[in-house]
Amino acid sequence: MNAIRAEGLTKRYGETLALDHLDLSVEQGEVYGYLGPNGAGKTTTIRLLLGLHRPTAGRAELLGVDAWRDPVQAHRRVAYVAGEPLLWPALTSAETLAFLAHLHGGTDVAYRDELVERFQLDTRKKVRALSKGNRQKVQLVAALATRADLLLLDEPTSGLDPLMEMTFRECAREAKERGQTIFLSSHILSEVEAICDRVGILKQGRLVDQGTLAELRHLSAQTIDVVFAGPAPSIDSLPGVQVERTGPSALRFEVTGSPQALLTALGGHPILNLTSREPSLEEIFLHHYDGSDRDAAR
Amino acid sequence: MRPASALAVVAQAFRDARIRTFAFAYLFALYSYIQPVGFRHAYKTLASRTAFAHSFGGNKGLRLFYGEPHDLIAVSGYTAWRVGGTLAIAAAIFGLLAAVRALRTEEDAGRTELVLAGVIGRRTAFASALAAIAAGTFVLWLAEFAGFVAGRLPVGGSAYLALATASVTAVFVGIGACVSQLAPTRRIALGLGGALVALFLLLRAVADTSSAVGFLRWATPLGWAEELRPFSSPQPAVLLLPCATAVLLLAVAARIGAARDVGNGLLPAHDSSDPDLHLLSSPTAQALRSERGSLVAWAGGVAAFSFVLGIVSQSVSSAGISKSIQQEIAKLGSGSIATPTGYLAFVFLVFVFAVSLFVCAQIGAARHEEADQLETLLALPVGRTGWLGGRLLLAGLAAAAISLLAGALTWAGAAAAGVDASLPRLLEAGANCLPAALLFLGITALAYAIAPRAGAGIGYAVVTAAFLWQTVGALVGAPAWLVDLTPFAHVGLVPTQAFRAGAAAAMVAIGLGAAAAALAVFRRRDLLGG
Repeated sequence: MNAIRAEGLTKRYGETLALDHLDLSVEQGEVYGYLGPNGAGKTTTIRLLLGLHRPTAGRAELLGVDAWRDPVQAHRRVAYVAGEPLLWPALTSAETLAFLAHLHGGTDVAYRDELVERFQLDTRKKVRALSKGNRQKVQLVAALATRADLLLLDEPTSGLDPLMEMTFRECAREAKERGQTIFLSSHILSEVEAICDRVGILKQGRLVDQGTLAELRHLSAQTIDVVFAGPAPSIDSLPGVQVERTGPSALRFEVTGSPQALLTALGGHPILNLTSREPSLEEIFLHHYDGSDRDAAR
Repeated sequence: MRPASALAVVAQAFRDARIRTFAFAYLFALYSYIQPVGFRHAYKTLASRTAFAHSFGGNKGLRLFYGEPHDLIAVSGYTAWRVGGTLAIAAAIFGLLAAVRALRTEEDAGRTELVLAGVIGRRTAFASALAAIAAGTFVLWLAEFAGFVAGRLPVGGSAYLALATASVTAVFVGIGACVSQLAPTRRIALGLGGALVALFLLLRAVADTSSAVGFLRWATPLGWAEELRPFSSPQPAVLLLPCATAVLLLAVAARIGAARDVGNGLLPAHDSSDPDLHLLSSPTAQALRSERGSLVAWAGGVAAFSFVLGIVSQSVSSAGISKSIQQEIAKLGSGSIATPTGYLAFVFLVFVFAVSLFVCAQIGAARHEEADQLETLLALPVGRTGWLGGRLLLAGLAAAAISLLAGALTWAGAAAAGVDASLPRLLEAGANCLPAALLFLGITALAYAIAPRAGAGIGYAVVTAAFLWQTVGALVGAPAWLVDLTPFAHVGLVPTQAFRAGAAAAMVAIGLGAAAAALAVFRRRDLLGG
């Protein structure tokens, strides 16, 4: 049984196609990073996964339960952190946590108290007086404290300061160690890179790339910088290799696939220095949003 | 300061309020047109008008709603009495809502901060908000004026009567502006303002019903509008009172607004407190918790009003009213109002109206929760049917409580004044509000399930239209089947008439059917996105 399973999941709002035939499966115990710029359809996906919005086509399951047909059953083992932390303005943080715990059931109160400490939450304050980051912390504490099997997090660190962001990463890693599944929607690439096992990249409602970070890197170009002991030779027309002159005696190669052919070609030339760098997630991400698409994504 | 940006703020504020403005304008135009037309239609001869004036002029129970009449022989005098008194209340509510919306809700939502971060200063922002409200008030003035003129009243007098109504709006805009500076949240501002509206209404009611304390009319802005005496013997100098008061209140509000922190009120906001874990066990319990302030306000308002009505009923008598006139009165759609119990039966129709408005407000509260918090709730193991069903149950139970309270307090008031009224019968009169309220609850819930943003508004419109039609349908000589369209025509006028069990059962059945349909529709639609 998958933690999350979506088949042909599609959502249309009037003329806008917000999500286009999403096929997705997330294993139990996996931490899945769901990447995409604003408006790519991340929140729509989560609303469909939670059965809050009705799929135009396709279906979604959470831990084997249909999300639209039986949402209450589907949510028993799930905790959710909304992107827009709108809670009840007249309740204090403590009251909010108590309310949410009542509704979810199975909250680990001791762990919750620990989380309140770690996130430095002032529980006496009313929600209306809290900043966005602090409201986000209330949601995070409530969700993490349930120790739910599946955590659906929609941009959970927006508004958090860097220290709290680190605390969140620690908590996410602990959750993973306990075997909890995390679905993390985000556009903060470093965060996804730091904690996720697998990544999906969403673009205008379609999943354009998916895999482990290693797999994604394998498919993308790696960068090899070479400094020669003398003027740089002219090496070109190698398959899968793009060359750029970065100095009088320096070349940069963008290599897709195996670097074997390049290394053979370099063989006869004296080399002072050679560095190889794997593409960052940012580069992989931007690769999908090149040119005009990138403008559209902004 | 750039005039163009200030103008943009005015236009935005006006646009923001347009639905409320035009809904009120429609009400004003319709009401001010239909009263002179209806009166002319119902009382064709001078003799009938004289008799009407004789019986109605002395009816203290009616003065409570419409104020003190000055000339009931002429169409214009009747209209001034019947329209002026009622629309003054609507104008007060409009002024309060408009000011709190523009000057507190916007700030609550953080939008004022955005405006002030631009090239607009505080004074300009304040003045722009007021300019937009003034434009809205002008629309209302125009609507009322046009209604009178279409009803063939003299132009000058019509303009003056509409001005009397607008003067009430001006004062309550001032009040709304002040409470918006004091209160840290919209809810508190509306609570304070609403309490003042109720207080001034009560003052007017007392002044109008007991001539010994008639001078109290000068203590309430609603009384000033009466003292302007449109049509009968105009006293335009009285206009200085509302004008001066409005200017003073607005100056005070501007002064406070210039000196305080944006986002806060003058009253301290209690932003920290020890946890109170009551009423957090379910979404419905939490809804009761967050609505308890407004429930107490409704209950308090209804209780105070019904107690006063109970006392006033004592002064209603049929002495000197001929049989034929009593039949004329019955034509008004309110049964005989010439005896204490007959009067109370008439009054309870107003409570049916009030409780029906209350259930619409509850649907409005549900819509607010949907926009802000429902996504969080429904991502938990909480069902949609449970959430909305709980909300409807809460609204129904609260409506029942308010209805019975109205019955009990009316009895208490009547008993205190020495009227021989029976408590069980008045509790029955209270309970009699419930079938119509449940009908409207079901209809409004269905409208909300289908069109979440417009739902409560549709409910208010349906309830108000049905009530107005009940009061004027028969008067303008509409055919019986058309008059019977309004649910209010099927409410038995307890305690004078018998409880109409068949009609009540039909209303409850339709209401429950609509509620069930609402739950089914709501189960299948997308939530309002954040």
